[in-house]
Order: sequence, then C-alpha cells, then structure tokens
Amino acid sequence: MPVDRRRIRGPDESQSPYHFISKESQKCLASGDRRSDDSQRGPLDIRPIFARCGLNSQAKGSAYIEAGNTKIICSVYGPRETERKDETDMKSGRLVADMRFAPFACHKRGAWVQGNEEKDLSLGLLESLRPGVCLHKYPRSQIDVCVMVLESDGPALSHAVTCASLALADAGIEMYDMVLGCTVRHTGTTQLLDPTFSEVQDDQDGVFVENQGSVTLSLMPNMNQVSGLQSDGVMEQESLKAAVQACIEGCYKLYPVIQHTLLKTVRKNAPPSEN
Amino acid sequence: MATVQVSEAEKLYVLHGVRDDLRVDGRGCEDYRHVEVETDVVSNTDGSAKVSLGHTNVLVGVKAEIGKPKPMVPDEGYLEFFVDCSANATPEFEGRGGEGLGIELSNTLVKVFSNKHCLDLKSLCISPGENCWVLYVDVLLLQCDGNLFDAISMAIKAALFNTKIPKVHICEDEDGGKEIELSDDPYDCVRVNVENIPCIVTLCKIGHRHVVDATLQEKACSVASLLISVTHTGMVTCVRKVGGGSLDPESIFEMTETGKRVGKALHAPLMELLQKEESLGSKRQKVGFLG
Amino acid sequence: MVKRYAATCTHVGNQNIMAEGFKTADPLEYHKSFLKENCRPDGRELDEFRTTTLNIGPISTAEGSALVKIGNTTVMCGIKAELAVPPSDTPDKGYIVPNVDMPPLCASKVRSGPPEEQAQAASQFIADIIETSEIIRKEDLCIEKEKLCWVLYCDIMCLDYDGNLLDTCIVALLAALKNTQLPKVTINKETDLPEVDLLKKCSISVNRHPVGSSFAVFDNTITIVDPTADEESLATAVMTLVIDEEGRLCSLHKPGGTALSGEKLQDCMGRAVTRHREISKLVDKILESIKK
Repeated sequence: MPVDRRRIRGPDESQSPYHFISKESQKCLASGDRRSDDSQRGPLDIRPIFARCGLNSQAKGSAYIEAGNTKIICSVYGPRETERKDETDMKSGRLVADMRFAPFACHKRGAWVQGNEEKDLSLGLLESLRPGVCLHKYPRSQIDVCVMVLESDGPALSHAVTCASLALADAGIEMYDMVLGCTVRHTGTTQLLDPTFSEVQDDQDGVFVENQGSVTLSLMPNMNQVSGLQSDGVMEQESLKAAVQACIEGCYKLYPVIQHTLLKTVRKNAPPSEN
Repeated sequence: MATVQVSEAEKLYVLHGVRDDLRVDGRGCEDYRHVEVETDVVSNTDGSAKVSLGHTNVLVGVKAEIGKPKPMVPDEGYLEFFVDCSANATPEFEGRGGEGLGIELSNTLVKVFSNKHCLDLKSLCISPGENCWVLYVDVLLLQCDGNLFDAISMAIKAALFNTKIPKVHICEDEDGGKEIELSDDPYDCVRVNVENIPCIVTLCKIGHRHVVDATLQEKACSVASLLISVTHTGMVTCVRKVGGGSLDPESIFEMTETGKRVGKALHAPLMELLQKEESLGSKRQKVGFLG
Repeated sequence: MVKRYAATCTHVGNQNIMAEGFKTADPLEYHKSFLKENCRPDGRELDEFRTTTLNIGPISTAEGSALVKIGNTTVMCGIKAELAVPPSDTPDKGYIVPNVDMPPLCASKVRSGPPEEQAQAASQFIADIIETSEIIRKEDLCIEKEKLCWVLYCDIMCLDYDGNLLDTCIVALLAALKNTQLPKVTINKETDLPEVDLLKKCSISVNRHPVGSSFAVFDNTITIVDPTADEESLATAVMTLVIDEEGRLCSLHKPGGTALSGEKLQDCMGRAVTRHREISKLVDKILESIKK
C-alpha cells in the first residue's frame, strides 16, 4: 500500500463504534402513516425542504439544500476553458459533475479519497443534469458542478440533483428546465417518499422481504421528461411502475418550493428599481 | 464508451427502419443477435465463460479466495467485480482510456447484485466473522459492438454456473485455534446456485420506439437507453438510465415492460444451454477463442 | 428632478465600473490606494476582523461539529470517533487525526484530486497545534491500556475560501471539540469485545483554548488583520499567531515573505490577545444558547 503523505495519517486500523451497539438502540421502521423520523408526515409526503442560492462567494453559482437531516451544498464554476482538448466534439460544452461525501456525513466515517460509490453517484448526477443544460450554447468550454454532502440521512442523489440544478440556475447557465430529484422506497406493499436513512436499511432483523427496493428519479417538470432513473433492490415490474409514478408526483410537490427559492434569489440580486 | 460516428442520412435510415420494425441487420425490435456461450474456457480460474453477442465478445473469470467477511454482515461472503477494458476491444481504451467505462460497468454490476435475492451470500460463509469466500468476478472486454451490459451479465451467469468452490472444513487444534483444511479431492466442491441471477436487458430509445441489443451504429442514433436487470421470475433488480438524453414517463413504462418480457425469456434457453454443456462433460468439443 | 436623480445614478454606476476596472488592471495599486487612507476595499479598518459567525453541532452524524464563517470564508469541522488499539510506544494514549481539505467547490482554482499544498500545510499546522499545546489530553482518549482507545478524526473542510483559512480552521476545531460527545464504552470480559452504550454520552475535556489571528504585511510597513483571498495573494508576507487563554503564544507561523520588525510583532500580539477574548466570548455564548 502506498502511504498517503499528503494527509495526516491515523492508526492503520480503527473500527466504528456503531459495530458494537446492542440491537435495542436501533430504531425500527415505522409502519402505517407514521414515519420513523418523528415528523408528522405521511408515507407520500416529502420532508420539508430548506433551500438557498448564492452562499458561496467564489463560485459562479451555488445552492444549499436541507431536507430533514440531509444537508447538501453545491457550487458551479464556469463556463470556463475546457481542460481536455482532445474531445472530438468541440461544438458543445462539457458538463463535469463531482459528488462527494464529507468524511463525517454518514454514521461510518468515510475516506477522503473519492470511492467507487461516489464516482457512481457523480455519474448518476451528471446523467440526470445533462439533458437539462443547453450545452450547445457553451462551445469549447466546461461547466463544473461540485456537490458536497455534508450530512446524509437517506438517499443523497435525489437531493443532490435538485441542489445542483438550483446552483446551475443561480450561475446563470442556460437550461431547458429545472431538474428535480426524488426517491421512493418500496417495501412490500407500502411506498415511502423521500425516505430517511433508517427507512432504507435493507433488512429488519435479517428477515428478507420480497418486493422491496428504492427508485431514484430525476424529472424536468415543465417538459415532463425523466432525465435520470436508478433503482435497486428486488421489485416486481408493477411495483416499479407505481414507484416511478410516485417519484414523479413527489417531484411536482417539490417544484413550488424550488421555484420560490429561485424567485427569491432573483429578486435579491436584481438591481433596485429606479423609481 | 466506444462510439462510432454516424451521418445524418444514416441516422434517418436507421430511424425509419426501427419505425417499421426492421433493423439494418434484418432483426425486429425485440430480437437479439446470435449469441454464443462457452464455459470453462480458462483453466486457471474456478469458473469462466466466454459470450459473444454479434461482434461483442466478453470473457468472464471467477476466482474464489478466502477472505474476511465485512463487519456489518459477518455471516456472508461477497462478490468483487472488476471490468478490464482491454485495448484489444477498441483503440480508444488504450492507456487509461477504458478506465472510466470500466468503473461504470463494475459499479453497475455491484448495483445489480446488491440484494439478497439473486445470490445466497450466506452459502459463501465459512466461519462467521472470521472467514468467508470472496468471489472475484473479472470481466475482460475482447471486442465491443454495442450492448456490453447484456453480454457481460450473461457471461457472469454462465461463469458462476461453471464455478466450483473447493470444499473446506474447519478443524480445531488443542489450543482452540482454528484451521481451515482444504479437501484433497478436487471433485469435492460446492456449486453456486445461479437460478436467481439476473440478466441485464438494455433498451435503446430510437425515435418513438425502443430496440433491444443495439449495435454501436444504432446506439449512436439513440438519445438515451434504459438498462433493466431481470431475474427468471421477472423480478427487476436494477434499473438505470444511461446516456445524455431524457425519456418521457410513458416510454419508461413501455420500456420496463418490454425489458421484463425479453429478460424473462432470456433465462430459460441460457440455463438449458449451460446444463447441456455440463452434461457432456469431457466429451464436449472445445471451441476456444479461434472458433 | 427625476432626470437629475437618474443622472447621479449613472454617475455612481460609472464610478463603480471604473473601480472594477482599476481593480482588475492593477490590483496591487488598487489595494494600496485604500491602505494609504487607513481603510480597506471592503470598508474595514486595518485591524478589524470580518464578522465571525458560529454554528455549533449542525451535523448529527458526527460526534461533534461546528460551522464557522469569517466573512465569506466558511469552514466546517466534523469529529468522528472510532475505536482502535493504542499505539505500542504510548499504550495509555489515544489518537487525534486532524485533516484539512479544500475540495474543488471551495474556490475556482482548486481542481479535484489529492489535497494541494495549502491544504497540506494547514493540516500540518493544525496537527502541530494539537500536539504541542495539548488541546486534548491524549490520555483522556484511552479506554483500556494497551487494548482500546478512541481515535478522534477531526476532518476540517473548507466550503468557501476567501482568505484566512487557518484562523477559521482553529475556531472550527475548537468549537467542534467542545461539542464532542463520546458514548460510554466498556470491554466485555467474556467476549473481549467492546460494548458501546449510545444512551450514556459524555463530553471530552478541552484542556487549552488556542485562537489564531492572521496578519498580512504590505511593504514592511502596513500590517492588516484577517486578510481576504485577494489581500493574501497581494501581500508581501502573511503571518499567523496562535494565542491561548492566558495570553501565551502557542504557535507562530510566518512562511517566508518580507521581514517584520519586533515592534510590529508586538502590536500583532496585542491584537491577537484581544481577538482571543472576542472568540472565547462568542464560543461560550453559542454553547450556552444550544444548551437551552
């Protein structure tokens, strides 16, 4: 193993205290209408969202989203000169997405180096955002989207997509439409919209539940186009269809909040009217 | 990903063909190209398979090694995927050119297999918390002509079917120390139950319709594709949109339906083929790489 | 009347454009013209810090956390505790592993990849302060001698870089450590495995409270406090003083640059001592407010 001399190193091996917790203190999945995060929301409600634009002074555009305990910050840099000159298609711009988790974002401490999971999420983020951005307007240039998950409570990708598209809009990048993300957890017969971390845990006391999985979807609400879709778990096709529909509805619920945030930002940034 | 350049006229030709359910190579929209599967092709692996799908060629080798179980699931073994995009497949993969695609493919495979349904990971456990079998699944791309996901998933299923894990037992010495003993008989081995392992079906949206098993040329005409991994019972274990475009909800529903139907039908002939090959034993005529 | 108002508006507008142009064309001269008048482009006095805001405990997945803003510069520190075997040469001590990272989102010049020089230097600087001034007694992190101890991973992440990284990092680290709560751990005699009780948590004792103050020097004569990113890049030297609660100097960091007279250094010391009072008051106030 090569030694990482660029960081301060700890002991060779350390274990998370969460491996040694007694089973009692772990919360179980709430059934029925109640959700495990003690809020009053029903199974098909999204968590209340707090969103702001323009927090980063250095970036062209930035956004911050907080949904329950999930906290995500995103900065957009560019359009700037592209780093890779060998690209064959110089007529349209290049979108680069980089999604990372802060080391303290999950229960288990993450490494500083970008892992495979983060690379996969970055790719998912890129593929969700790309259909929404008018890349042909930015020839020979590159737009960088950097997402940092400060705290993760439940699937982070959907909120990262929403946050990144807010930041792109804040940066003044031309887009066809906003891109909104939503996740649905399907367990047996119930659907939970915008699940928390404890709600996506796969096994409850090791019992295997048939027909369970998560679906993450990105939607461009005005064009009614799905720009990203990912699912895992094991589901029947019918359940998958229902979950996709629930995701789309979830995105439409989210849309007014995001619109409001953008409007507020535009009003704040607009020069004061002269009369 | 390996790509080809397609002119506008070619695009239109492909598009019109797909509209009329007649593709450039004479197939219908839901037809696969000619598939060839051969197992046990690499002797120094524990299981291997080569699949060719039209001009797409992949080789999968499975190596079983004893490792330490993951702390969160002490009574299960696990799989590790690695996809090597060799420069043989296309010159674009030279140097580090194939790295990005390799990571994308292996991450997708992790997603496809990351559920308790498709493989009984508990059967890979040797002693809980201490030792388990780790199956290293190495995929080598030999030739790319579109639809890598489908070819790889078939090859993995075949290779795992072919995998023979040696039997071990744990003996305890006087001091209470544990020792793993390998069986002397090379034919004394455990097989992996591959029944529930899914196959991936990639559907490319071309014009208003979608096609399965797209060639590189067809892929270049498509804005977005959806890959769906389906088990033999028709359960969906993973869905992913790939490519730069977007899809409308209605076509997603159509595509998942087609994917389920096509994917489900894929399993029976594959299993039949594998079993037939197995029953022939050493009498089987090996085709190898030049056949 | 309206016309005249509009005219003044455009006049002011033109001036703004002129100032922007001046700043881009000759940034050094632009800054110096302000410094000559004893003020700075953002309206601050020479010895004035930017507004410092503090949020303690925003991250629930971390054992302790803090978000600090000095002006635009934003830093988040999260502390994760893990269990490990104590180092063989000091079996009665635990580990503290601080790391500072500047991810690509904090500034446009940063590219993704391993940490750049500035982040590496900051990590080492923070590590040295922890080591030498004993913010936490490493003995406190030992659970059982030679068997089990805590590892405190102090991950400090810059979210917005506009100068004065070190001061911000130190405040974030200090506030996060004061917020840290560790669960009770016992070793099960039978299985020899640790047992963690999440319901019983206790804070760690923070031994010393160092606070940093950074200065930028222009032409050997003018020192300004809390430089922004622009000021840092134009200054002829930068310096960071770290002072503890009794006004003692913990660390002095001046990586090269132009010389500085002893007198000036004394002035800076004085400013650093008052800065310490301001920061301790702020940290105590916020800690008090989250207790309620």
